[in-house]
Order: sequence, then structure tokens, then C-alpha cells
Amino acid sequence: MSGAFKARNQVAVAGFAQSPIVRRATRPLGATAVETALQAIADAGLTVGQIDGFVSSPLMPAMGGQSAVDGLSTVSSAWLAQHLGVDASYAVGFAGIGQIAGSMSIAINAIASGAADYILFHRALHNPPGKYNDNAMSVASGTDQWIAPMGFYGALASAALTYNEYCQRYGATREAMASLVVEARKNGARIPWSAWYGKPLTVKEYLDEPTLADPMCRYDADMPVEGVACFVLTSAERARDLPNKPVYIAGYAQGYPTEHRAKMHWTLDEMTEAGARLHQRLWNVTGLRGQDIDLPQLYDGFSPFVYIWMEVLGLCGPGEAHQLALAGGIDSDRPGAIPVISGGGAIGNGRMHGIPQMLECYLQLSGRAGDRQRANVTTGLACHSTPNFGGCVAYSNEPG
Amino acid sequence: MGEAVQHRALPGTPGGRPVPMRDEQSSAFWDAAARHVLAVAKCTKCGQATLPPDVTCPHCLTTEPEFTFEPVSGRGHIRSWTIIRRSFLQGFDLPFVLVDVELADVPGLRMIARLLDGPAAKLSLGLAVTAAFEDLTADCSVPAFRLESAA
Repeated sequence: MSGAFKARNQVAVAGFAQSPIVRRATRPLGATAVETALQAIADAGLTVGQIDGFVSSPLMPAMGGQSAVDGLSTVSSAWLAQHLGVDASYAVGFAGIGQIAGSMSIAINAIASGAADYILFHRALHNPPGKYNDNAMSVASGTDQWIAPMGFYGALASAALTYNEYCQRYGATREAMASLVVEARKNGARIPWSAWYGKPLTVKEYLDEPTLADPMCRYDADMPVEGVACFVLTSAERARDLPNKPVYIAGYAQGYPTEHRAKMHWTLDEMTEAGARLHQRLWNVTGLRGQDIDLPQLYDGFSPFVYIWMEVLGLCGPGEAHQLALAGGIDSDRPGAIPVISGGGAIGNGRMHGIPQMLECYLQLSGRAGDRQRANVTTGLACHSTPNFGGCVAYSNEPG
Repeated sequence: MGEAVQHRALPGTPGGRPVPMRDEQSSAFWDAAARHVLAVAKCTKCGQATLPPDVTCPHCLTTEPEFTFEPVSGRGHIRSWTIIRRSFLQGFDLPFVLVDVELADVPGLRMIARLLDGPAAKLSLGLAVTAAFEDLTADCSVPAFRLESAA
């Protein structure tokens, strides 16, 4: 695409529902998904019969080789449509990393093109029994043979290597990261549905926590959880007749790998390069750059990803994000700070992937954040995954 | 010299360290490793090296790269590292060091493997390393690295 997004602010989010986010579910994921979908549809002032489109990204992110069962460990668009009794005209899913930005782009385009009038957008996350990421492989085949025999496997080790490269290059410390993680947990502790509601973390607790893959400890990783989030999308025109203040979609931008390496070998330079391309794409599509956004909500599936997003979006200079965090520059309660994780993110809510970032943009821009409502917020940016695989969606509460 | 590896269970058996399953594309790499030689995949169309071999050549994008494995010196420098204290794989004695190494012979080509000097080794970016090999079974050795200063 060479120019601005033609459907800029022509598609809107009209309502939402978020289930409680829990460590372990006591009922099938699909049951929670059906109920959450019904709540979101009602929240948007609609009835089930009006929903004609379903979009999701039914990936189960556990790395342990567990098999996915639709309705139990994942919930696909078609499954949800069927179990709501809807003969959907459009029910599709996104396959890939960066699920929220990826699937949102499908949903946005479907509304813009008229493929559907009202879309139920959802993400359902399952936490399977047992150890989430353990893999009992004794033989490594295919792409795994290039990493596992050498002792490299899993996202934690991958992120730790990227993060330590950052630390060594720029002098970042665990003290700086403590302020970021404590900020995420502070904000998550204020959100009733969060797995960490009422449970903030102290700097001392962070620093006392033993590392798992240096310099990362378990608090640098989001906790696997069970939970479902649903949003209702429709055209801006239709949304204006519905009860909630519409939040318009200004555009989206995706990022893609720039290097060929072994599986999960994501380098700092690749993330930076892919991020620069993504940021340029965001500008081309929306006319917005990172520093123009009132509420950038950055992905924190692993805490160092927030630094990387801050830098690729130009919220600070290269290698400066850790200094900004340490100096209170991302404290959402501090006037003049950049509230990059005011919605608590994945670290403050549990592993809902990019949902907390999207939800915070929606709640703040629709004026529905309650006690946490921020003043003078007109634009938001929800980022998901890392810039070399993920993407971002830009929101606005001003039409046109 | 190969490194003697202590295991709770034999590599390639349940509970043991994972061993590679050779396939048509990778067997020459593992044959070289068994001789304690680090090899990289070279595209027969453009002659540039990559690791691991992909479906297409990441440099010239040919769909018929017909990769051949050619030895490299094994020398390189550290681009990053981490100490693994909780492994998601079985059969490794903890803690151990993983290093991300850029190979001297192929600038830009990086691979992740264990550093055999142990978690107490003082590391920094750019430190020189050289390939070493861990003998997992009679006919299977996997690449690792050692600090050049200690080699």
C-alpha cells in the first residue's frame, strides 16, 4: 500500500467484555467464551442475531507440544459462531505471531469492505495442565534440531538473549527493569478482572527474585492464564447509533522478520530494524508517529519488549528506554510521563497476549475506564508481540 | 577435544538430552559435527552461507539452493549470552551458559549454543570464542563454544 489507510476512522469498536482472568479455569474455555461474547454483544447494545462476522486468532501459545482442542484449549471463530447459534456470513482466523494486530486487521478490513456489518472479535487463552513450556523431547527433528540439542529452546531463553544484548550494549540494569515490572503490576492490581488484582509487586520483591535465564526472572514473564476478551466492531456510522462512545480505528501496521536465523533466534538488531520499518508503515498509513500518540500501550509478554517498542516508536532515543523507566518516565500516575503500560499489560493482567493493550486503548478512549480514567486522551496505540513478528493498531475517539 | 557429558539419562532416551534427528538436508552438518567440524550451509547458486539451511536461500532467494555444507574455522565472538537456571528441555545439568555467537568466517551469521567454560566465566560482548563439541552418543556430537583465551 502506498498511501493512507482509506478506511481511516470508518471502523469502530462499539463494545467489549472481559472475563475474569484466572490462573486455572474450573470450566471449559468455550463456555467462558460464549458467555463473554454474549456480554460484549449486549454491551454494544446489540442482539446475537445482528452479529454476522467472527474474527479471532485461536493460537494456544504453550510450548510444551500440547494438542489444541477447539472449544476446550482454543476457541475458533467458527466454533464460537456455531455455539452462539449464529449462521455467520464471515468467520475467519489469523494464524501467526502478533495475533491481536493480525486478527484486528482482518476484522477492520471486513467491516470496511462490507463483508460483515457487526463483528464479534475475540481472543480466548487457555492454560493447559502441567508445566506450560516444558518439552520432553528426546529427539529434536525439523527446525528444533538446530537449537534443542545445543540447549536452546523456548521463548524465555530467546528473550533473555535479546535482553542481555540490550543490557550489555546500553548498560541497563535489573533496577531499571524493576521499575517497569512494578509499574505493570501496580496498574494491573487496579483492574478487577486481572489475575493480579489487588496484588502489586515491590521493587524489593522483584530484585530478590532469583533469575531463571539471566538477567530475567519469572516476574519478567507474563503468567499463563485462562481468560476471554471480546470486542464488537462495526462501521463508524452504525456505531454512532449505539450506546457507547465509539472508538475509531485509525489504521494498523505489522512487522515482519528481516533476518533468517534458527527458530526463536530473535536478535536486538532485527527487532530494531523491523521496528523502524513498522514505524514508517504506521506513519504512511495513519499519519501518526509514536510521539503523536497520547496512550501508547506497549507489549510486555516479556518485560524487555517494552524497551524495544519504546525505542522503535521513537518515545525515547535508542538505548534510553531503561533510563526513562528508572527515572519514573513511564509512571502512569506521574504528570508528563509516558503511560506505556497504564493498562497493566500482560505482566499486570496475565498472559492475555495483546488484549490488555487493546482494552486499555478502548476503555480510555471511550471514557469507560472508571476510576482509572485519564484526561485528554484522543489517540491510542495497542502493540502486540515484538516488532519483527507483531504489529500495532491505532485508535482515536475523534471521527474523521 | 570432545567434552565428556554427564547425564541423568542417556541422550536421545526418555529424560535425556535431545539428540538431533538427521534429515536429508541436515545430515552433512551432523556428519561434520561428529568429526568435530563446524560446517555452514552454502547456497550453490550464490555461494553465500547460512545456518540453518532454509527452504530457499535467504540471500539470493533461489528456490533451489541445493545447500552444501562447508567447514568454517569455528572462531567467532560473543553477541549475547544468558545463564540458563531453569531449562524447558530435559537432560541438561543446570545452570549452564548459552552464547549467541557471530562466526568470524561469515559476518552476520549467528548461532546459539552452550559455552563450556561454565557459569563462573567472566563474559563481555565481543569476546572471542571457538567451536567445541559435546559428544552425546557414539556417532552424535553437537556444537558448543569455548572462550578462546581458555582454549
